Amino acid sequence: MSILRFLCAVMTFFVFAAFVFVSPILADSDQETASVAIADAEETMISAYEAVLEVEQAGGNVIGLLAQLNEAGDFLASARMSYGNGDFASAVYFADLGRSIGEEVENAAHELKDLATDEGVQRVWFTVLGSISGIILVVSGSLWVWWFLKRRYQ
Amino acid sequence: MVKIEEYRNFFMAGSLILILIAAVPALGLFIRIPDGSERFSELWLLGPTRKAEGYPFDVQVNESYLIYVGVANRLGRSAYYRVYVKLRNQTQPLPTASNSSPSILPPIYEFDMFVRDDEVWEKPLNFKVLEALAANDTMLLKSLQISGFVFEVDGFSLWDEERLGFYYQLFFELWLYNTTSSSFRYHNRFVGIWLNMTDARMHA
Repeated sequence: MSILRFLCAVMTFFVFAAFVFVSPILADSDQETASVAIADAEETMISAYEAVLEVEQAGGNVIGLLAQLNEAGDFLASARMSYGNGDFASAVYFADLGRSIGEEVENAAHELKDLATDEGVQRVWFTVLGSISGIILVVSGSLWVWWFLKRRYQ
Repeated sequence: MVKIEEYRNFFMAGSLILILIAAVPALGLFIRIPDGSERFSELWLLGPTRKAEGYPFDVQVNESYLIYVGVANRLGRSAYYRVYVKLRNQTQPLPTASNSSPSILPPIYEFDMFVRDDEVWEKPLNFKVLEALAANDTMLLKSLQISGFVFEVDGFSLWDEERLGFYYQLFFELWLYNTTSSSFRYHNRFVGIWLNMTDARMHA
């Protein structure tokens, strides 16, 4: 009987000990996970934004990409606020949503940048060739007009 | 009889002008003329009708109030902004414009947004005082709900002898992501509204 009592006491002790020691460890682990998820999402968003800026500088259309980034920005802000409120599960959820949109935008931006660069090079060639053709036309036209007038009035 | 040689210089000048006109598109690719316009950002608040009027002032507990926050980008390129929403009493610090430093108070709520050059971003912000306690000449704003998120703010305010009430200021700071330093910097813009919470208190 006394052994049974002793076992019960030991079991009760372990159950309480589990609540006292394991819960904070799990909470710390949740916090750590949320913190890492937010940091990852922030890093992805910044990479995506920098990729979008490169597309813009190459002359590409970034309206759609920025709209997607704004959506991701809302998630990231929600993640940070959830984290601040101690709601680590929601923080991870929102951060993951933000990160996944950020990754999509970054990939799309890299593809768009190549396209925009090619288009930019084409545009430069068209413009330069157009200008050169214009100059050749003006010079030859002027020479022809001058020659024509000279013949007529001399 | 017209002497064509007398018009030679005029003719050459005319041709030269036409050559320059034809060369302008190609020259424009290599010569950048600064447009001289100032680069800046704008931050504003609008009332519930999306106009600069009817801002919430007398605040009741559990009543929802609506304002709009807006940002305009005139920086010449797309920008990554962050708006921090902060709460202060009459004595707590505001941002300092002279040295571009933000308020040291922690943010309650925040917005992250990406705005194209010459474009405007605007979003609604709902807020509701959930719990406020008052004892003698001190008020404690315990919790606030902003756009669905509940925040334990624990912000105190002292009785204002001049304006006869408990006042808080909800203010908004604009931050900008700087690609050179790879960090957000306070962009030296803030706006705010004063809230009279005298009627929102519950006596402790």
